[in-house]
Amino acid sequence: MADTDEAAIHLPSHDFATHIDTDLSDETQDFRMLSNLSFLTDTSQATLPKRGEKDFEPNPTLYQADILDASRQAMHNALAHPRLHHPKNQIIGIYAPDGPAPPRSVATPKKLDTITEDDPLSTKNTADTEETPSQTTTGPVTGVHPDSCVYVPNPKGQYFKNMGRADRWNRVWLLPEEALYLLERGSLDIRWPLSETGCEDDGETDDPGIPMSLQAAYACFIGRGGLTVDRFSVYSGLRRLGYTLIRAPGWYDGVEEETEDRELTKCQGPGLAGIYGRFMKWLHSSRTTAVGPVAGLGIHRSYNDIYRKLSIIPFHDPMAPPSQPSQTKLPFRVVFYVYKPSTPFRKTAPPPPDFRVAVVNARTQTTVPTLAQLGTLLESTPLDPPKGEKMERMLYMRLRHGYRSVVLAIVDQGVVSYLRVADAAFGKEKLYNRVAPIGNKKGAHPRPKPKGR
Amino acid sequence: MTSQSNSIPMPASDAAAVTAKSESTKKNASQSRPGRSSRPNYRHLHRFSLPLSVHPLPPLIPHNPLSIVSVLLSYLTYFIAPPQHEVYSAYFDSDTSSIHVTDAMAIRALWEMGFFGKGSLSRSEPSWLEREKKRRGLLGGVTSEEVTRQRRTERRELKLERARMEKLAIEQRLKAEAAAREASDTSIDQPSLLPSVTGVTNGTLPITEKFSLRKAKEAKLFESQRSVAQTEGENAPDTPDNSPPNGGKTVRFSPVVQAKEFVSGSTVAHAPDLVVDGRGAEDEPLLDNEEHLQLSNEEAFFLVYGLGALQIFDGRRNTVLSPPSLLSLFCQHSRFPPPGTSADLETDDSFMISYVVYHHFRSLGWVVRSGVKFGVDYLLYNRGPVFSHAEFAVVVIPSFEHPHWSETEERKARCASKQARSWWWLHCVNRVQAQVKKSLVVCYVEVPPPVEDSSFSSEDIGALLARYTVREMLIRRWVPNRTRD
Repeated sequence: MADTDEAAIHLPSHDFATHIDTDLSDETQDFRMLSNLSFLTDTSQATLPKRGEKDFEPNPTLYQADILDASRQAMHNALAHPRLHHPKNQIIGIYAPDGPAPPRSVATPKKLDTITEDDPLSTKNTADTEETPSQTTTGPVTGVHPDSCVYVPNPKGQYFKNMGRADRWNRVWLLPEEALYLLERGSLDIRWPLSETGCEDDGETDDPGIPMSLQAAYACFIGRGGLTVDRFSVYSGLRRLGYTLIRAPGWYDGVEEETEDRELTKCQGPGLAGIYGRFMKWLHSSRTTAVGPVAGLGIHRSYNDIYRKLSIIPFHDPMAPPSQPSQTKLPFRVVFYVYKPSTPFRKTAPPPPDFRVAVVNARTQTTVPTLAQLGTLLESTPLDPPKGEKMERMLYMRLRHGYRSVVLAIVDQGVVSYLRVADAAFGKEKLYNRVAPIGNKKGAHPRPKPKGR
Repeated sequence: MTSQSNSIPMPASDAAAVTAKSESTKKNASQSRPGRSSRPNYRHLHRFSLPLSVHPLPPLIPHNPLSIVSVLLSYLTYFIAPPQHEVYSAYFDSDTSSIHVTDAMAIRALWEMGFFGKGSLSRSEPSWLEREKKRRGLLGGVTSEEVTRQRRTERRELKLERARMEKLAIEQRLKAEAAAREASDTSIDQPSLLPSVTGVTNGTLPITEKFSLRKAKEAKLFESQRSVAQTEGENAPDTPDNSPPNGGKTVRFSPVVQAKEFVSGSTVAHAPDLVVDGRGAEDEPLLDNEEHLQLSNEEAFFLVYGLGALQIFDGRRNTVLSPPSLLSLFCQHSRFPPPGTSADLETDDSFMISYVVYHHFRSLGWVVRSGVKFGVDYLLYNRGPVFSHAEFAVVVIPSFEHPHWSETEERKARCASKQARSWWWLHCVNRVQAQVKKSLVVCYVEVPPPVEDSSFSSEDIGALLARYTVREMLIRRWVPNRTRD
């Protein structure tokens, strides 16, 4: 898993090509495309360049050597391209090691007042935030996550559309992973607080203090508020791809999870079909199942009858309400809610997530989850049965979609691999009830005929 | 409700089918001209999804009193002359711990109705006799193995051709470069030959002379088709597989296809029927069928216990094994070396677990076959392997949630080792399935604790099986790059 891609091994240019993490569908890139990227030349044409063909063997032609050279040159050009940070766009954050606190000018005299007068506001806020009320109100600054440790006094730019939380003094507080991510990509400049650097006597000056190094930021932020390296690598990886991530309630160890689907599942019992099935099962008494044949000895009227008689193995019904609410245990727990870039996202009222991600360290949890672990993890996600006209028609698609789904991010020493686990109920899809497609060739009928009618 | 009645091509009447079949054999015998290879009518051949005969009642139409009469009449006929229930026989071979079927009729029936077992000398369908006859020049037509072999040789040839072309291109370029070097000794530079940084990347790479495998294949196909057209009527069984590249399944299971026969009333115009082979051995006294059908233990137990369509004799072939004794026999043989006969039936026996999964998917209508070629436990086919590729690959993992399994430390460790799979294993299996375009299904089987009184367990198999629970999880790689929209 952690090894280099097999394709890359065959590539002649293993000087740098193999060492760079190329996530573009696991292929080694032809770096000549870099020189074609629009940001290097002009911003008017925004088309993605095509990738060239790969050579798998070195051959003595000059031509190949030249391509290699060109590729290398393009790589160097891209790396040597000056990356400018315009002072106008510079965002400066200040590290607050003690968590969210009101600004110093207002903090000391009326700290108590702020809390009391903001109390109704805070409860209203928590209704639409993802945290439980106890979490949000513990912080001295309302509306801000208590784990936040960096504040941006002068927030601007597009990053704060889906990151950070503003307090009432118009400062945006960033969670450690958000701050670290922004720092890593060079969008944020974090300064040590004046209290730490010892030049406090300046008071409220414009100069915000000493810049924090990347190493110091890692040292300060990793491990803070449940942030691990694994979680951060998942966070930053998905962020870089454009996804929006927020912490799920399962991030914290001791927190009761919200069970949004409880009422939903309760009203949906086994249904008429289930009762009918149970009745039919009861009708075909266990006389024949003791020593067989299960299908019975008499005359069979249809294959469907035989199949119905044969179904004696109980299966898990995902629509059934969970017998006992069990608690998920780390690491098999949803820690991130992930939103597609296309999903409209509001910080104050996050919509239901597109994906739920649990982060697993492959070195500490070396085995694949057991049924209990996976079952409770899936039960903590809401019921999402396949629906829609297309799903009705396509059996395979329906099965693949499943009734609940969760994404496992397996982190093996920094390499993340994602697996989507779906609760497919094969038992609910009776294949024998389906219409057999007409015609000998299946290729002629890409779409199976709709059921019934 | 129409879906139900439509779901399986019901035998309008068995007798009609039988006569059609015998007619087809007659026709095959008479018109022995070598025809073009085409798919047999699988829909007709495999119209019974299980090796059991069904006798549907005539439809009851309330406003038609005659229909009531016909229903009553059919009841009466069944009462007077109950239809013969076909039970095939097989024997258990303890050396290979598998079930062998040697009767040619039973082999055909078990394969055609439900795709049970595999030929001991064939890839899946028992076709050794056909291939052998073919080899000795007694028969025309192609078997599936030959088609595959031919396809492989073709592919290898194409690859060699491609390698040759590439080598040629390199040589030409070297020559051109040498010429250019000589020229550049006199002149200063030859910028046109060198790919510039920007020039190369404009999407139109100058490596257009690269040999395309597909193009070559198409060309070859065209050529061979033309040759076939020229030599129409001559024996040309080796037409390459010219099905669409991404269309239906191109693997062939047809044993004999040299004679064409048109089934009247069939929707498919070109629907050659099959010779019922295997019995063809009688025509050739010098050629005995050396092949037998080999059933896996799960398949055999399903046929015996689930359907009652098979009876299994023990190794000495004198006693029929009853389902309970068969179950304990299989459980013993699920481990190697098999423990003594005294061993009790255990609920966490690997045969029990795999049989539960097998029975579960079979009872839903899937055709379940071994998935060992893909590194999984089972493959699920919709209707059968001749119709389409398997979409789902099933891996079975036992689960020990009951408190009984965690009572003692020793038991806990044993269960943990039984259900433990590493992430590397999972990724490995998952990537292989993605490569062969199948969806990975991890099927967890909840293993019940053993029952206290031992008399219960092997007596009532149904009750024992009903204590297991299966749950399927579909596992797929999530590629964030692709789900971004």
